[in-house]
Amino acid sequence: MTSTVDPISLAQKAASNDTEIDREALASLLVEIARNVDPDYRARFDGVPTADPRMATLRQLLVGREISELSRVTHLLDEPEQLASAVGGVLPSAAARAPHAQLGEALAPAVERAVQRSIQKSPRTLTDILYPVFLPAIRKSIGEKIDQTFQSLNETLRHIFTWHGLKWRFEAWRTGASFSEVVLKHSLVYRVEHVFLINRNSGLLIAHVTADNATSEDPQLISSMLSAIQDFVKDSFNETEQSGLDTIRFGELRLWSEVGPFATLVAVIRGNPPEELHEIFRDVLFRIHDECSQALEQFDGDSSQLAGIESQLQTCVELKQEDSNQGFPWLVVAAVLLVLIPTGGWLLLSWQSGQRWQAYVSRLSTQPGIIVAEQKVRDGQFYIAGLRDPLAADPQALLSGTQIDPARVHSQWQFYQSLEPEFVLKRLTASLTPPKSVRLSIVEDRIVAEGEAPDTWIDRARAAARQLSAGGPVFDISKVRDVSPEARAAEHWQAYVSRLSSQPGIIVAEQKVHDGQFYIAGLRDPLAADPQALLSGTQIDPARVHSQWQFYQSLEPEFVLKRLTASLTPPKSVRLSIVEDRIVAEGEAPDTWIDRARAAARQLSAGGPVFDISKVRDVSPEARAAEHWQHYVSRLEAQPGIIVAQQTAKGGHFYISGLRDPQAADPQALLSGTGVDPARVHSHWQFYQSLDPKFVAKRLVASLTPPDSVRFSIIKDRIVVVGEAPAAWIDRARVAAQQLAADGLSLEISELRELTPQKLTHLREAIQAVDIFFDSGKAVPGPEQLPVLDKLANHLKELAKDARKAGVTAQFMLTGHSDATGRETANVSISAARAETVRALLKKRGVDPELLLVRGAGTFEPAETENSRTGSSANRRVSVTVNFH
Amino acid sequence: MQKKICMLGGFAVGKTSLVRRFVQSIFSETYLTTVGVKIDKKSVVLPDKTVDLILWDLAGEDDIGSFRVSYVRGASGLVLVVDGTRAATLAVALTLRERAEAEFGDMPFVLLFNKSDLADRWAISDSEINELRQLGWQIYLTSALSGEHVDDAFRQLASMVAK
Repeated sequence: MTSTVDPISLAQKAASNDTEIDREALASLLVEIARNVDPDYRARFDGVPTADPRMATLRQLLVGREISELSRVTHLLDEPEQLASAVGGVLPSAAARAPHAQLGEALAPAVERAVQRSIQKSPRTLTDILYPVFLPAIRKSIGEKIDQTFQSLNETLRHIFTWHGLKWRFEAWRTGASFSEVVLKHSLVYRVEHVFLINRNSGLLIAHVTADNATSEDPQLISSMLSAIQDFVKDSFNETEQSGLDTIRFGELRLWSEVGPFATLVAVIRGNPPEELHEIFRDVLFRIHDECSQALEQFDGDSSQLAGIESQLQTCVELKQEDSNQGFPWLVVAAVLLVLIPTGGWLLLSWQSGQRWQAYVSRLSTQPGIIVAEQKVRDGQFYIAGLRDPLAADPQALLSGTQIDPARVHSQWQFYQSLEPEFVLKRLTASLTPPKSVRLSIVEDRIVAEGEAPDTWIDRARAAARQLSAGGPVFDISKVRDVSPEARAAEHWQAYVSRLSSQPGIIVAEQKVHDGQFYIAGLRDPLAADPQALLSGTQIDPARVHSQWQFYQSLEPEFVLKRLTASLTPPKSVRLSIVEDRIVAEGEAPDTWIDRARAAARQLSAGGPVFDISKVRDVSPEARAAEHWQHYVSRLEAQPGIIVAQQTAKGGHFYISGLRDPQAADPQALLSGTGVDPARVHSHWQFYQSLDPKFVAKRLVASLTPPDSVRFSIIKDRIVVVGEAPAAWIDRARVAAQQLAADGLSLEISELRELTPQKLTHLREAIQAVDIFFDSGKAVPGPEQLPVLDKLANHLKELAKDARKAGVTAQFMLTGHSDATGRETANVSISAARAETVRALLKKRGVDPELLLVRGAGTFEPAETENSRTGSSANRRVSVTVNFH
Repeated sequence: MQKKICMLGGFAVGKTSLVRRFVQSIFSETYLTTVGVKIDKKSVVLPDKTVDLILWDLAGEDDIGSFRVSYVRGASGLVLVVDGTRAATLAVALTLRERAEAEFGDMPFVLLFNKSDLADRWAISDSEINELRQLGWQIYLTSALSGEHVDDAFRQLASMVAK
């Protein structure tokens, strides 16, 4: 397909729209594409490649600039800051072109809020902005109002051709004042209601005058408060002017004050007073000062001497201007005429007095310390004003002898300080009050001080010299010698020395001051205060102090006490103190410490204080005894069968109480070897039966006296008895076992075997079979019985021996019998006597009498029944029974 | 006869309370805070005359530096007021007196230890007061609450300044 468009012309056509297109590149590209539009060329390709680089190039060439422009604009819209600056550039012109009504409506709420915020934040900003607008507006408005008022006033005056108008015009003609002045004067209505005269110094009321019908609070308080307020204003605004507050206005009321040298006149005026009133008040004030200047100056609260003043003040109070209906002032005219006639004569006189006045003024001018600033003569009155030094001559005093009437002289002097040397010298002398050693004099317009003075005075003089004004004389104090440093140093030194001397343990032997150096020598205890340390704070230069101290041991009790405390280290229970120069130790200590203290007391030098240790109690024996006692108590407590209930040691004696088993160890016996003195031990033991099996067993052994063949043992709290014993003993053991069971203890006897040896049984039977026979009425057996006795004795001895071997005791009961003849009492007695006889015969044959018991049975146990008349020889006998125990 | 008297003392020692009940007054206490001074009058009848004490009650200052000494000019006597429950106010009162006297010369004064009704918080020892009395000072333990010794103090001062 062939292009019908000439590529060159296309390119050229495009170029007409956009000069930036590279026409040459575009043309060659199009030509190349055209050449390639060839069927053969196309056939070689399966299709047109999707991304033909030439198409991209073509696009770049055709719309490359648009693309970059578009991306720039997009970027601009996306970035808030850039957009803001872009919109900011066009905002003013956009606002200008916007329809006014719509823009106003849209902005109104935002602007209102903005202004509101600005006023809330700082009203001043908006005020400053609006100030230039408001001021001319206000000014204009007021101007218009005033103009209006004046206009209406003029109109009124012009149109009301009344009697008033005529009268005022006449008055204007008469006085030469302008008509408006007269109108103003008549419209100024006022009344002076109170006049106070107040002492300038103290604010106290000197005098007070009131108009009729005027009331006020306590004038004394008011006058003080007025001067307080004057002071307040002066202090608050640093006002140094002499005059003070001269006008206070409160609505209808005005307070005008005139200030004089000693007193202030305050007038309370209601209404609109004319300015001339000031002049009048001032005149009155001057007159009062002239008349009573001394009394005013010395006023101390007592106004009795100033009584005449009230009449002067009265003239002020009567001043008033009322809008009364005055008649035609014929009287005034007459008065004017009356005044005019004497005027001629008066003028002559006034010329004369004027001459005298001038002489006085020139004399004043030559006075040192007086400067006349202004003077004039008016209406026969002389006015003079100027400055005067308080030390200069009194102008009032100079008047005398000048023929000038002092009442016509109105002076107004402001005090000032003259710089002439002689005045300065006077003032310096008054203010500095130099010591006698200083002399002030004037040398060639300089004031020279010479002599000696302390530095405090020199400082004050120097300050005064600096304060002298530049124009004044020089105050030369270079010739005054400062004598204070040496004097002070010496003073400090003396204070230091006396302080040292009063120190305990320091003895000042010698001290002197020489060429500004201080020398001191003496003795000091090492424990005393350090003289060097005492120097600090005394303002003495330590470098100028030369000390020489010898150490010594002070024998003052407090130092001895310190040394003793350091060397003896007393126990806490001992307190050392000083009692009337003696060192006294009190308290309790062991003997070792007391020995050391006693040695120390001996070593104290003869001149030193006594060391009294008599009040220290030796606590060592008791301590040791108490130790031993405790040892003994604990030993007792460890003993079985002993219970210690209570024990105390008091006053060197020991008390102990408790329970003990009789079988336990003897506490008394335990004392031996403990070191406790038995005489000081007071014991109180209650016996008790310990239920400890060991003790129970012991008690059993003691009470049952078991045979040797029996053994007691303790097995797990039970008492077990094993072995062999006679039946009787076993019976007793059984009873004991039953009793113990009641106490909860068990005694086992089941292991016991009964002991009945054969031999003993035989012997017993043999012995019991034998009787000893007696003849009737006889208590001694016949000789035929002796062999029986011998045999019996042998048997008894054998049995006793065997029984002992077997662990039992054999006892033999010898029972005497009688036959039934005779009296019963005799029978009982003879039966006992037969038993006693046999016992004696057996004893004689070696039988242990202890084993032989005797009883008389009388006729009660007969061997055979008998005929009481003849009697039976078988019944006259002694029988033997054997018992084993 | 009238005499100007200045009441001096530290902050809240009770000067104003002392004068409030015992004097003639026409000015309100706001003067103290506005002008820094309030004026009251106390008339004391002595055997031979009547003395009007014009009392200048100066605003109490903790900071002695701001004390307006110019108010003392022309005063004939001082009333020094100390709060007996705050020992430091004694030093303040004495300093104020020193400043006043340095400026205007010695003048008679009475020293009031005020708030004597607060015995449990009392902070001034008797020995201290006795020491001051040894100096010949006129000292009163006053109470604005009960009025104890207030009149005595004014009477004493009146007789001192009237000489």
